Amino acid sequence: MSRRAKESGARIIRYRGVVKRYGTFQALSGVDLDVHAGEVVCLIGPSGSGKSTLLRCTNALETIDGGEIEFEGARLPRDGRALRDIRRRMGMVFQSFELFPHLTALHNVAEGPRTVLHARRAEAEDRARAMLAKVGLSDKASNYPAALSGGQQQRVAIARALAMEPDVMLFDEPTSALDPETIGEVLSVMKALADEGMTMVVVTHEMNFARRVGDWVAVFDAGRIVEQGPPRQIFDAPRTERTRDFLSHLGWHGQTL
Amino acid sequence: MNFDWSVVGAHRDALAAATGMTVLLTVATMAIAVPSGIVVAALRLYAWTPVRAVATAYVELFRNLPLILVVYWAFYVLPIATGLGLSPFATGLAALALNVTAYNAETFRAGIGSIRRGQLEAAMALGMSRAQAVRRIVLPQAVRRILPVLASTWVSLFKDTSLVSVIAVSELAYVAMQIRAQTFRVLEMLTAMAAVYWLLGYPQAKLVDWIQRRYAVTE
Repeated sequence: MSRRAKESGARIIRYRGVVKRYGTFQALSGVDLDVHAGEVVCLIGPSGSGKSTLLRCTNALETIDGGEIEFEGARLPRDGRALRDIRRRMGMVFQSFELFPHLTALHNVAEGPRTVLHARRAEAEDRARAMLAKVGLSDKASNYPAALSGGQQQRVAIARALAMEPDVMLFDEPTSALDPETIGEVLSVMKALADEGMTMVVVTHEMNFARRVGDWVAVFDAGRIVEQGPPRQIFDAPRTERTRDFLSHLGWHGQTL
Repeated sequence: MNFDWSVVGAHRDALAAATGMTVLLTVATMAIAVPSGIVVAALRLYAWTPVRAVATAYVELFRNLPLILVVYWAFYVLPIATGLGLSPFATGLAALALNVTAYNAETFRAGIGSIRRGQLEAAMALGMSRAQAVRRIVLPQAVRRILPVLASTWVSLFKDTSLVSVIAVSELAYVAMQIRAQTFRVLEMLTAMAAVYWLLGYPQAKLVDWIQRRYAVTE
């Protein structure tokens, strides 16, 4: 589906003039971006350019210092129950997985439904089993995270986020900590999710993923979005020098792999 | 030098009861000091700043006072401060609990601090409140990590209960010293006392080692 077709769907997240500072360092200096239902929006750019910061501001793991972020038409609450209600509708996947090491894969996935949604144990575990099946890890339900490969841990982390039945999934460099041979299994789970119509915001260094799965790509540099558009534009006909520089540093010369 | 070990056998009932009292003191102190240690640690980590300062002052006070001084202090000050005539047992228990709570609070604080921030964030990203995230995700990992420290605190405490003998709590040290004073069998009673402390302390330490291996979390 094209961006235009999806734009007829609801706008789920709206960033306007988002500013974030760490002391004197300006991590974000006025970011504008829209995310529509069913869209995969990829945030790319060099390290330290603010893309992960923007993602972490989306569910208020970081608070913003200026501008605004709206989720489904309402400004993001700063704290309390209202914020928690929104967080559980945004699944988050971290670069370093952050599975709970003292819980099995099954209980990692069942924890959210149990604690936050107050589901009964059997119900939460049924749902957890279904989510593990979805990411292809039914046989690892009773394994602890330490007994799983990086790719498997990240798939459990995706299942854990999906168990909350989120409206949006936020991915913070989900494959950056993985061995090259396990990156593919995580990307294909993400691709399958995108094909089901899940709305996704993905911070990534996987240009092929952004190119092939993304509906919209935003290029970050020094706390700003220097260019945004459909992947065809960003990768084949970049309009700014900064985008061309960034892509050529990655060895991207317009090829489709 | 003559040894007369029959003195130990002759007083075995009193010694057994006293040993029971030592165990009871240890268990009761820990039963108070583990939950209160968690509460004090949580106050130091998460509370409103003035409350945090009070918790810090409490920890720094009791961690840096000799336990025997706290025992005497509890014996003389608690009745005046509270207006209650506390039994020696309750007084000794209060002194031990005040001391061990301070140590446990530091242990828990270090354990909680050693769990990386991403764990808290992952829990909160699921929609948990900070309190839920700490209780369900951070604390269980922290407890497993600090088990060896809690274990050595436990064994230290088991031995330190002997200090409440100075306020006549009829635990092992006090009773053994009483028998020594009545029979003048100094070496026999001290040796018997050492044997009981060691024989009870050693398996406790080993048991906790086992618990630690059994529940360790690999990352």
